[in-house]
Amino acid sequence: MTSVRPKLKPDTPKAVTAWATRTGRSVWMRQDGTWSENVGEAAPFLGVEAEVRLAEAMGQEAVVTDPYFMEVTESGRIAGRETIRETIRATGPTFIFGEGI
Amino acid sequence: MYRYDEFDARLVGDRVAQFRGQVARRLSGELKEDEFKPLRLQNGVYLQLHAYMLRVAIPYGQLDGAKLRRLAEVSRRYDRGYGHFTTRQNVQFNWVGLGDIPDILEFLAGEGLHAIQTSGNCIRNVTSDHFAGAAADELMDPRPWCEIIRQWSSFHPEFAFLPRKFKIAVTAAAHDRAAIAVHDIGLRILERNGVVGFEVHAGGGQGRTPLLAAKIRDFVPETDILDYLEAVLRVYNRHGRRDNKYKARIKILVHELGAEEFSRQVDAEFAAQGGHEKIALPQAEIDRIHAYFAPPDFVPVSAEEAALFDAAQAADVDFAEWCGVNLHPHRQPGHASVTVSLKPVGGAAGDATAEQMDLVAGLAERYAYDDIRVSHAQNLVLPHVPVVHLYALWQALEAASLATPNESLITDMIVCPGLDYCNLANARSIPVSQAVAQLFAETKYQREIGRLHINISGCINACGHHHVGHIGILGVDRKGEEVYQISLGGRADEKAAIGGIAGPALKAEDVPGAVKRIVDTYLSLRRGRDEIFIDTLARTGMEPFKEALYAAA
Repeated sequence: MTSVRPKLKPDTPKAVTAWATRTGRSVWMRQDGTWSENVGEAAPFLGVEAEVRLAEAMGQEAVVTDPYFMEVTESGRIAGRETIRETIRATGPTFIFGEGI
Repeated sequence: MYRYDEFDARLVGDRVAQFRGQVARRLSGELKEDEFKPLRLQNGVYLQLHAYMLRVAIPYGQLDGAKLRRLAEVSRRYDRGYGHFTTRQNVQFNWVGLGDIPDILEFLAGEGLHAIQTSGNCIRNVTSDHFAGAAADELMDPRPWCEIIRQWSSFHPEFAFLPRKFKIAVTAAAHDRAAIAVHDIGLRILERNGVVGFEVHAGGGQGRTPLLAAKIRDFVPETDILDYLEAVLRVYNRHGRRDNKYKARIKILVHELGAEEFSRQVDAEFAAQGGHEKIALPQAEIDRIHAYFAPPDFVPVSAEEAALFDAAQAADVDFAEWCGVNLHPHRQPGHASVTVSLKPVGGAAGDATAEQMDLVAGLAERYAYDDIRVSHAQNLVLPHVPVVHLYALWQALEAASLATPNESLITDMIVCPGLDYCNLANARSIPVSQAVAQLFAETKYQREIGRLHINISGCINACGHHHVGHIGILGVDRKGEEVYQISLGGRADEKAAIGGIAGPALKAEDVPGAVKRIVDTYLSLRRGRDEIFIDTLARTGMEPFKEALYAAA
């Protein structure tokens, strides 16, 4: 794993996120198991289903790298202790290069 | 500058071809990430927050126009039009695709550049004084020794899998601009009875356990230095911990054994070397490498030309201000070393656009003997500039936002990429540096404050060197909130010290105000403009600063 993220409880809604192996871009698993570069398309999963989805992702080495759980709300919005990190990961650096703050 | 010979070119070319195959196998899924990771790291490829990041080696920070232009072209063709210069005098590209990296490496190899040993548990890029070969206070040019060490350490089979990464810095000046005290090995070049040699320091480093290097040998003659380094590395490789990543650096071994015992073991190893193991660097080889670093044919600068330089300063206050801050004394009469600031107020420290890189490349070729350096403070340097060219140079830099007059002033901060880019970071660094810089934007105010180094890291790994900042700022995660710990009193020069934590961490929005209170306290306590911040702090102790820092809390 490239990084170790906090453990989440089974009843915490979670999205499966990873990096696209070819481009390195952040991606999120949709409900149908495909991957999107748009965090808004991330599907929330719970309990056993979440574990199954993560295992599926781990089996797609050529497509995605280092999948892990990211805490979200029931509607799929980024939540929890890593909200800042995951928001930056989803939307990019918080300053625009060359334009200052 | 060292030029690749046929052997170097073949070695790098073979490595690119090998990595191309490894990338193909990764993209096909034949290699899993856990298998691929050590291979990509050995080629400078990280997986960061948003994309793959490629770190390219700039040995001891030296470039020429062609090399810098090549880096500019990489950023334009394969990245987002900019690159990030690092505290290890390297450059990083933050947005590259894995499939493109073999092509990038091949493109770089065409100009004698590579990414070998920019990551992994090996001997990393050897760093040095960014004014090497130019500084008036230098005993001799340390770059030939950096190159000799680079050649010895490149692909050294015994040291390819050390317990942890290993960093070496070399200086030859009384004023240490290479931060040797916070390196795994720090070398100071000396001359004793006509013999060139090295004072050897070992066991320095930052990260979660910051320690200053201990002097383990007063003097190692130049012909013995590679054998001695080999002995140090061998003792470390044998006894350095591999069971705990956080205790694996040589600093822990030196600390736990004690410098004296560590030195004794190195001496024993050194004495035991013999026969085919002994390198005993031949003088002819030392001379051969030195020849690559012969000074340029400095053009004489006439009294009339020097007068023109003086007149330009008298006529243009902004130019004079820049000269007062960003020029460094040169050993050659009529010349100066120029710091090209990559710290515009509101910018990201160390970042340069492709256009800026192209511009500096052209200016170096036109005005500065085609020599460019990257400083560990994340600026570019033109080490040799005849003073008669300074006004034209400044005008060109000014037009490209590269002439901020802030070298070693409060806005010349060392800043890691932080949580905006880094997968290890806990907090953002760049926005904090930008907010602090805004508060001190006025040049006159910065000059009034004088020399003051602020270093900012976004996590305990300390890539922003916060431990050795006069004011250090460390971003930490507190239950999902970014907060910042302030330390005071660090320095990385010949009086190196690790800063002390001033007190509880602050919210991001409170950091600029806190820095302002520290600075105000300094201005009220100093005995005159000659007493810089760090000296006032050493005289008064931390108490008055802590009081001011937390006064509003």
